[in-house]
Amino acid sequence: MKKILGVKNLGKIHGSGCPRCLESTGPDAGSNICSHCSSVVAAANISFDLHAGEVLGIMGESGSGKSTIVKMLFFDEEPSLGEAVFFDDERQWDLFSVNAAEQRWLRNHRFGIVYQNPHLGLNFNFSAGGNIAERLLMSDLAHYGQIRERARDLLTRTEVMPERMDESPKKFSGGMQQRVQIAKALSTSPPVLFLDEVTTGLDLSVQARILDLILEIQQELGTAMIAVTHDLGVIRLLATRTIVMKNGRIIEAGLTDQILEDPQHAYTQQLVASAL
Amino acid sequence: MVNIPVLTVEKLNKRFFLHEQETFIPSCDDVNLTVNNKEMTALVGPTGCGKSSVLKCIYRTYLPRGGRILYHAEDGHTTDLAQASDHRILELRKRGIGFVTQFLHCLPRKATLDVVGEPLLVRGEKKAAARDAAADILRLLNVPERLWHVPPATFSGGEKQRVNLARGLISRPRLLLLDEPTASLDPATTERVIELLSAIKAKGVAMLAVFHHPELVRRLADRVVELTPQGAEFQETEEKIQ
Repeated sequence: MKKILGVKNLGKIHGSGCPRCLESTGPDAGSNICSHCSSVVAAANISFDLHAGEVLGIMGESGSGKSTIVKMLFFDEEPSLGEAVFFDDERQWDLFSVNAAEQRWLRNHRFGIVYQNPHLGLNFNFSAGGNIAERLLMSDLAHYGQIRERARDLLTRTEVMPERMDESPKKFSGGMQQRVQIAKALSTSPPVLFLDEVTTGLDLSVQARILDLILEIQQELGTAMIAVTHDLGVIRLLATRTIVMKNGRIIEAGLTDQILEDPQHAYTQQLVASAL
Repeated sequence: MVNIPVLTVEKLNKRFFLHEQETFIPSCDDVNLTVNNKEMTALVGPTGCGKSSVLKCIYRTYLPRGGRILYHAEDGHTTDLAQASDHRILELRKRGIGFVTQFLHCLPRKATLDVVGEPLLVRGEKKAAARDAAADILRLLNVPERLWHVPPATFSGGEKQRVNLARGLISRPRLLLLDEPTASLDPATTERVIELLSAIKAKGVAMLAVFHHPELVRRLADRVVELTPQGAEFQETEEKIQ
């Protein structure tokens, strides 16, 4: 499989930053706050490749910087350090030097995201179908009938009853809201999908069905995914490779079964040992 | 015709370090072995001597600490599995190396047909084709058809083991790793598995297997590697008894 995303030395510092931020933070320092300038090093020295059609898991506790990575790649946050290259069919995109219009285009056409909080991914003033239509409109599909048809197909595919497509997602259960988010993200068939704690806070049975759906879609469409989670079960189910993060740094990376059965780092061993 | 090596393991060493307990757990040391196509190499030795660890190191479920694990591809290219990138290992897992683990791990809500067909889905084949292939192999392994559409969670040990075998065989690997594939099977099914393994061996598959029963080793293995907690000693079976 070919490389679709190459991330090198990506980092995000909140605050003024100083030359000693990186050396004074991280897992060895046991903190992501710089002891010299009090800046927060949310993530640093993040390097990895994503190949077409694979699911990469990013695991770590709250505040380890895992969501920050996805936010930077999806242009929700501006990176302080590093680079990321998106290898599209026709051209290479240096993600952090594209202009605002190109960012929008990439977000609408080539990337998709499903957030933990459906308020971030959906507009609750629009109907479920309207949310999907919004993304489709921005991706140049303009025919009303076609848009509606596509929204209906997507909602059916993600097991949201199409007869409820004209209702606002605020009337939906948490699981259904996630399904609408997934349908919206997939509407433009993006080759890369970001999943940010998509099942956190949902009932176990709802979690299982959402994860099954994601896995089915992944196998059907061959979408490459980055799944951010603190849940070992999600990692085990979805990810073929896994990155483990602590204090804003990658402490371990490997095949998921290796990370779970033969973890090398003390922190990963602790995480795996605390699985229920 | 001389059989050609598919896997050569040299001086493989594995130990675990448990940070919390600050202890090293030795697993296997100085393991040397060869697996040729059309042959089975059997790993034998007492419990705890590292037989399963050798298989897991080859498959990269465990990270080997030292030594070389050379996989010789059909095109003559050799990969050291102890050093290869994760992506290269994943590629080989899709087409090349299969692993029938000791226990079946699968989702408690997934139908048997889909559990068995999954390796084909992962490499991009269509669901219907994967299900057809799964049905073929389940039939071959005597798994009753009434079980195909339910999850294996409630199956007996022997039925689960056959599902596990089916899952390992479906992708037709060149190198098949087997961890006690007949441990909980009745004599009739064991016989069936022996026949099946003999047949795929004759087709050219190279196999490395962990067995506890000397009978199986005698009937299936062309080479035997005995592991001791201190290390491995290589010996060839004197004569293969048909």
